[in-house]
Amino acid sequence: MEKVNVTIDGRTFEAVKDKCVLEVAHENGIYIPSLCYNSEVTSSGGSCRVCLVEAHQGGRMRLVTACNYPVRKGLEVKTDTPLVRRIRRGVLELLMARVPDSEVIREMAAAEGLTEVRFREDTGENERYKCIACALCTNVCAEVVGVYAISMINRGADKKPATPYLKPSDVCIGCGACAYACPTGAITLKEKDGVRRIWGKDFPMVRCSVCGTPYIPEAQVDWIVKRTGKDRSFFDKCPDHR
Amino acid sequence: MAPIDSIGGLEAYRRKLAEAAEAKADMPTVLVCFGTGCQANGAGPVAEAFRKVIDEQGLKLDVNLGIKTTGCHGYCENGPLVAIRPQDILYLKVKPEDVPEIVEETIKGGRTVERLVYRDKATDEVVARYSEIPFYKHQHRIALRHIGSIDPTDIDDYILAGGYAGLAKALAMDPEEIVSEVERSGLRGRGGAGFPAGTKWRSCLAVESDVRYVLCNGDEGDPGAFMDRSIMEGDPHSVIEGMIIGAFALGSHQGYIYVRDEYPLAVKNLSIALEAAREKGLLGENILGSGFSFDIKISRGGGAFVCGESSALMRSVAGEVGEPRAKYIRSVEKGLYDKPTVLNNVETWANVPEIILKGADWYASMGTEGSKGTKVFSLVGKVNNTGLVEVPMGISIRELVENIGGGVLGGKKFKAVQTGGPSGGCIPERLADLPIDFDSLTEAGSMMGSGGIIVMDEETCMVDVARYFTNFLVDESCGKCTPCRDGLPRILDLLTDITEGRGGEEHVALLEELCDLLTWGALCGLGTSAANPVLSTIKYFRDEYDAHIRDKKCPAGVCKALITYSIDPEACTGCRLCAKNCPQECITGKRKEAHVIDTSKCIKCGVCKDVCTFDAVRIS
Ligand SMILES: Cc1cc2nc3c(=O)[nH]c(=O)nc-3n(C[C@H](O)[C@H](O)[C@H](O)COP(=O)(O)O)c2cc1C
Ligand code: SF4
Ligand code: SF4
Ligand code: SF4
Ligand code: SF4
Ligand code: FES
Repeated sequence: MEKVNVTIDGRTFEAVKDKCVLEVAHENGIYIPSLCYNSEVTSSGGSCRVCLVEAHQGGRMRLVTACNYPVRKGLEVKTDTPLVRRIRRGVLELLMARVPDSEVIREMAAAEGLTEVRFREDTGENERYKCIACALCTNVCAEVVGVYAISMINRGADKKPATPYLKPSDVCIGCGACAYACPTGAITLKEKDGVRRIWGKDFPMVRCSVCGTPYIPEAQVDWIVKRTGKDRSFFDKCPDHR
Repeated sequence: MAPIDSIGGLEAYRRKLAEAAEAKADMPTVLVCFGTGCQANGAGPVAEAFRKVIDEQGLKLDVNLGIKTTGCHGYCENGPLVAIRPQDILYLKVKPEDVPEIVEETIKGGRTVERLVYRDKATDEVVARYSEIPFYKHQHRIALRHIGSIDPTDIDDYILAGGYAGLAKALAMDPEEIVSEVERSGLRGRGGAGFPAGTKWRSCLAVESDVRYVLCNGDEGDPGAFMDRSIMEGDPHSVIEGMIIGAFALGSHQGYIYVRDEYPLAVKNLSIALEAAREKGLLGENILGSGFSFDIKISRGGGAFVCGESSALMRSVAGEVGEPRAKYIRSVEKGLYDKPTVLNNVETWANVPEIILKGADWYASMGTEGSKGTKVFSLVGKVNNTGLVEVPMGISIRELVENIGGGVLGGKKFKAVQTGGPSGGCIPERLADLPIDFDSLTEAGSMMGSGGIIVMDEETCMVDVARYFTNFLVDESCGKCTPCRDGLPRILDLLTDITEGRGGEEHVALLEELCDLLTWGALCGLGTSAANPVLSTIKYFRDEYDAHIRDKKCPAGVCKALITYSIDPEACTGCRLCAKNCPQECITGKRKEAHVIDTSKCIKCGVCKDVCTFDAVRIS
């Protein structure tokens, strides 16, 4: 793999060419906030804009999203300039106004010294409360799970993740990967009496034959069996008792 | 006919067409404009009427009449337009009933039907000759060179007019030479950003790849602009020829024309043109026997403004959702299907054949230092002549509005122009001597954009204008990134507050802050340019913002919450017209006595002002 030298906040590091700035920074202990990016999901990132940093290259400065800006030879990144701070605060203030109830956003904003919102707060529909329309859930479902049960619908401020026609999805396997990935915890996943409820649909769970704990939706087992040809009996026991 | 298989063969074919045309040179020709605008105004029945009268009178025998239907002349407001040759007369707003008279007078008698020709609103002078009409006289048409004079569905018309000669010349050139020629011409992209076309081609050429794509952006999302539609409908071969030349220079074998979904006629005429070009051996395998193969497919637009943005467009062509993506790796390296791709706008492509044919020096001799050649503008708003105009870059705003546009409607005061489409900016009258080119418009806080120019008069409220465009952008934001998705609605809130009298001193500062955030923080060009309407109006019309905020007044008399209607007792004759028309029935007064408006019931609809013939209704 080709390596290049890149400078971040005055320190120079060797990094794999085309790796994103955010990962190179984190590997080297430099913090850049992020919400919509997950290193396991190549289609994620670029949407929330909290990771904007200054990229100096070829005599030119641009504000770029660290989560998908590739490191190339001679790149110099600045993560802590007045411009970066100003825009990051601005983005967080908008997010706070959008999802006033989100702890994650409030904490991230507080770290930037931001506690008050000067705009009208959004008191929109509950389902979108906490959702920052970052599309990480839909990207995870499509790219990692490979199921395409949800997609981003609508435009502008009404953009949100949803199942087709807002009806319980035919293909969702109830795996919950979307909910685990969501940066703001906006997707509700409830489990009760061996049944998991997510995206408006109930998924009966398989119980571990040893401890009796319901641990995986039947639909997910069906799907893995179909996809990988694994033996169904493998799922009789939960990972702890296999 | 068998495909033409050599460059010489094309020239021979052109000579044959020219001889046939020569033999018919004196024959009258009737050209009925068949652009979308004229068709909507009834061009179809007019053409039908011509056919009927000509058949009935057996005119074929004595004057041998050819009827052609053409693309949009750009003067749609006066459509249907009918041009008669060889006299070069242009008739406006022609109705089927006018046809017998035109045939009798003009075609048979050689006389002009005066009531149907252009009449200058200021001087009352009549102008019959097409090329003498002020709207056309000051134009210099390159991209629109054939529009209105050829039948877009007849490839022979295009070839006869010199079409595909640029391609023939290019096929004999070195690809490198073609790219240099385009570079030296100074041609900059007409789709908005004004990126030098030659530079883009050169960087694509520098990337190693077996597969390359050339794309044409015909999405034209700016609601006020229609030059791309006009070219695709009226002269599709000019775009196709430009793309073949580009493909040859770049070594591409597949191209796509992305056409806005609302443009069915453009799709139809492009499809006819593509098929005809294939039949003639100008497109497809082994073009003109050169060994070079290239074909073009049409791709229908995704129906949103943002689909015209390059990364969204490429995703849409590839069958994905038309949503922008960060362009940290340029599309000349990784574009459509991750292959090196050159995307240019319709008008950009249409210029290419002429540049190759006549040379870079010829093209670069027009325009300004940084913006060469001509540009098509769509001139609309409060101006006498509206439509598509092509002029050399560098013409001043004032020349455009006054000479070509014929001045502001109704003799009102010229206040500003808005340029560049929904995310362009407003430039005040006092800067009207500014030359129109990419760089001066950007410096002035606006942009060239697609070339939309909206003329505004003294009765336009600039805060309301900013609110109007922001509202459009709120609806068109794709919602992918935070600054645009959540910032634009906040900007709209603040502007609405101001226009409704709730604005405070802090509103303007907050607006400026949000604009800064959009400009730096948004993902795609929609968001990064969305601040222009707000910032340019704050910059040039700050006094109007202050009047709304401090005095709670709308100086232009537009913002309903801040105005009241009253009747001037001195001017009112008591004719009762306003009282009869008021939907609220809140105007009272005896006949022949001054009337009074009950402001508590008035809904500020403005009907009374519109109907009053004595100009007695006042707004304050
Ligand atoms: C929101 C947005 C909408 C756009 N719409 C169009 C369009 O409708 N037509 C167009 O040619 N370019 C449009 N563009 C510009 C394209 O991204 C691109 O720059 C252009 O097609 C390149 O061709 P050119 O260099 O010949 O202008 C748009 C850009 C943005 C940001
Ligand atoms: S729970 Fe359903 S929607 Fe969520 S990731 Fe799994 S399959 Fe996709
Ligand atoms: S639900 Fe969560 S992951 Fe999905 S778009 Fe909303 S915030 Fe992003
Ligand atoms: S700037 Fe607006 S249109 Fe562009 S990606 Fe962001 S939300 Fe979408
Ligand atoms: S503005 Fe409309 S409602 Fe008011 S007085 Fe005039 S006509 Fe009547
Ligand atoms: S983490 Fe980079 S844009 Fe969201």
